[in-house]
Amino acid sequence: MQLDAASLARLGTMAVRARVLVQGALSGLHRASHRGSSVEFAEHKQYSPGDEIRHIDWKSYAKQGKYFVKQFDQESQLTVYLVLDASGSMNFAGGGASKLEYAATALASLAYLVSQQQDRIGLLIFGGSETVIPASGRVQLRDVMDALETANSSGGRGQNSASAALQRIAELNRRRRALVILASDLFDASGDAVPALQKLRAAGHDVSVLQTMAPDELTFPYDGMTLFESLETDHRLLANPAAIRAEYLRKMQAFLGNTKEQLQRAGLDYHLVETNKPVETTLRDLLIARNALMRGRSVGVRG
Amino acid sequence: MAFIAPLLLLGTLAVAVPIVIHLFGRRRAKTVKFAAIDFLFQSDRKTARSMQIKEKALLVVRALACLAIPLALAKPYTSCERSGPHVARGAQAAVFVIDDSFAAGVVTDGKTWLVRATAQARAILTQLGPEAEVAIIRASQNADTPTELTRDHLRLGDQLLAMEPSARPADTRRALEAAGLLLTASGHSQKTVFLFSLMAKTGFSAGPAPWGPQGPALTVVDVPVANRNNLAITKLVVEPDPASGARGIAITAEVLNASATPVKDTELALRLGSDVVARGRLDLAPFERKAKRFLAVLPKGSHGADIQVALPNDVLPIDDVRSARAVLRDDVRVLIVNGDARTTRRDDEIFYLETALRPGDRIDSGTTLRTITPDEISADALSEADVVVLANVPALPTARVTALTAWVKAGGGLFVTVGDHTDAAAYNRQMRELLPQSLGEIVDTMWGATPEERAARALHMEKFAVDHPAFAALSKNATELRDAQFSQIFLLAPDANDSARTVLARFTNGAAALVEAQVGVGRIALFTSTIDRDWNDLAIHPGYLPMMQQLIRHLARRQAPVDESEHLVGSTVTLPVAGMSKLEVRGPGNLATMFDGDRIAGRTTLRFSKTEQPGQYRVRTFDAANTSTTREDLGFAVNLNPLGSDLTPAPPSVLPASGSGGGTDKASTKQRIELWHAVAAVILLLLLAEGVLLQRA
Repeated sequence: MQLDAASLARLGTMAVRARVLVQGALSGLHRASHRGSSVEFAEHKQYSPGDEIRHIDWKSYAKQGKYFVKQFDQESQLTVYLVLDASGSMNFAGGGASKLEYAATALASLAYLVSQQQDRIGLLIFGGSETVIPASGRVQLRDVMDALETANSSGGRGQNSASAALQRIAELNRRRRALVILASDLFDASGDAVPALQKLRAAGHDVSVLQTMAPDELTFPYDGMTLFESLETDHRLLANPAAIRAEYLRKMQAFLGNTKEQLQRAGLDYHLVETNKPVETTLRDLLIARNALMRGRSVGVRG
Repeated sequence: MAFIAPLLLLGTLAVAVPIVIHLFGRRRAKTVKFAAIDFLFQSDRKTARSMQIKEKALLVVRALACLAIPLALAKPYTSCERSGPHVARGAQAAVFVIDDSFAAGVVTDGKTWLVRATAQARAILTQLGPEAEVAIIRASQNADTPTELTRDHLRLGDQLLAMEPSARPADTRRALEAAGLLLTASGHSQKTVFLFSLMAKTGFSAGPAPWGPQGPALTVVDVPVANRNNLAITKLVVEPDPASGARGIAITAEVLNASATPVKDTELALRLGSDVVARGRLDLAPFERKAKRFLAVLPKGSHGADIQVALPNDVLPIDDVRSARAVLRDDVRVLIVNGDARTTRRDDEIFYLETALRPGDRIDSGTTLRTITPDEISADALSEADVVVLANVPALPTARVTALTAWVKAGGGLFVTVGDHTDAAAYNRQMRELLPQSLGEIVDTMWGATPEERAARALHMEKFAVDHPAFAALSKNATELRDAQFSQIFLLAPDANDSARTVLARFTNGAAALVEAQVGVGRIALFTSTIDRDWNDLAIHPGYLPMMQQLIRHLARRQAPVDESEHLVGSTVTLPVAGMSKLEVRGPGNLATMFDGDRIAGRTTLRFSKTEQPGQYRVRTFDAANTSTTREDLGFAVNLNPLGSDLTPAPPSVLPASGSGGGTDKASTKQRIELWHAVAAVILLLLLAEGVLLQRA
């Protein structure tokens, strides 16, 4: 089953949408929930006084007559930061759902998924300046859903940069590695969103970017004299779209290409998301990409 | 600036229309809230800016157009001090008398005088207003005159635009008379004659005033001529020049310096056909006429040539050229019937005559001689001759006389000379029809005279008909013939019908020496002595050769080898058409006129009067089989009347006094200049600009 933007809107609250998407559309794609604690065996170490006796590998002692202690890489829960761009530009809804609604739905679904795995979820909304500190549990999930719901219903505003939110995540997770999933159009007037993402990746965090674009932004289908008004500023432009279409599309493709190239070069997981695409398709592509990445990394979303 | 219809200025409120439309249109533009607007600005910052500019420019252009339309309809005008003639606007009658003589082609600043005059006439026509009834009279000689005034100013304007100088001289007085007559018939109280004239004195002939004190007002429109210094060729005479051979011609061109400035070393060029064959130079004092003589030889193989003498172009180029036509006559075919042939050539009856007609036995003498005996006279022989000379022949039998008579009546020329073989009684009996007058007795002045007495008793020729072509080549009193001594002559018997013959020369005793008569369409001449030296010594006198040559040509109807008559523009040229089925005259500019059918059938001549352009006119004839022949002998040249070349200004006294038919506001020195044309032009430009802007937007 695939749900388009209109169908999603009819599903009601963000929590309902997330559950429908994860339990229905994405069922079978992720592993079974409640799989156990998040511990992974790393290597053996010869026993020395002070080591935990419960970690002595008795089978190795039976074979070799020496004490070895099992060591594990990660013994804590995964922290997933969902970052939503709620700036004014995300209100644009040309050719599908608004970018904000689409991004909020996608992040809500991810939150639900993460919550099902008992991992910690945090939420940062820039533009709305809403922050939910990472935690696990049903209450936490409800808070995240509420925050997303609020952001979606109040609409995007302002032209806040993603860099501040990303900087805050880096500060909050100096010791713990986290998975950061950003949903934004990356229309950043200051141009520092991409460097901030690169910096976050350099700090060891795992970063996925869902660059959310409306179809009309990619095809520019307008005709006749049109007055374009900015969603973030008071800029207005009266223009004949036919006269500027080619140049606009060239600039847009260049922007998307540059962004993708810079992010992928820095090791980020990049996805261009069109709002006329079913959300579950977007999520499936994200999860497939995450699974591919997990093969070489110890930190990841266990879907 | 003021307005004729200021109320229409209310229409300027329409300027609000484009502004409202602009604002409304701006609101009607679709509004799209767009996220990636920065990309739009980046994409087309220049386009966006230029579109804004174009949008504003469109608004300005449309607003100006809306302002300009009522402005034009309100007919704005300004006024300034009058520089031209006074022109009152409104209902009136006016006649433009415009000098369109060839002198109107005088060039000032690259424009002919007529172009500038007609431009002023169009301006005045506009100032008169649509209610004025106007006519245009051209002042060239014999130009057509309109019969009524008209309000069709559009047609009058076209007429002025199309006006070109004619090839005739000016006759301004006639044109003013016609204008006066035309205005007399008008019911308007205000009547004006606007005269556009070069005011050359040759354009005003003497005569009574064209109107009285109640006549129209005369307004002379000043169209200045910067330079009136005109050189013109006023006459071109082409004559045979025997000294240059049978094809030799002498061309005399008369040049007039119609200015107060002396001319030095001006060049004249003579053209034969298309080639310049001679050049000459002339110095001319102010208002001097001087002749320049050229000698030339017509090209071999041609029967005629176009002759043109040209000066370098000056202010009036049309009279710097004059044309003529030289035509070689065909050879005269002379059949000499030798009545006293001798074996010794010098003693032969016709030795001197042959020598005279073919001097030096030259082929180009223009004469073809054939000598026969009296027995050889036949219809065939006669059919190949133009002139028959009966030189001392015995009386001919009736059959030959009949044949000869019929031949002469059909146009042949007969020259009868007498001698020892002439039997007067037999001549009078058998050949009377071939004689202008009956022969009488022989007078022998030397009978019984001693050698010392011979000179004193000899007869001489005198009392010549000096105007006759036979003596045209001789000096005034034919002194070349007077010294000849005649010992024997035939007297002529009195005839009842003396008026039928003409005595061209007489002897000192009063007897006729040379008599001519017309028989049918032919001519006969009788010389009452011998043509050799038996009865006289005329043959050894210098007058013998030209007299014989000219007489033979006269009898053969062959005249001098050039066209001496000069045809002026507008004159009528008479052309022979006997035996032709069609005749075409092709003038300058390749304009052809065809005469055929009833216009030519059964006629011997036609009168051609379409000679409006100076230059060469060529004639082609067509026979019954429609085969055309270019008749070089019929071609002719037409030239300007030299009267019009003198541009010397006439005194104001030549103009008639202005009548009382003028307007009432003569004191006004202000001239109204209407501006709506300019405003209309601005509207057009604005609409054009709007179109361009719309296309680019």
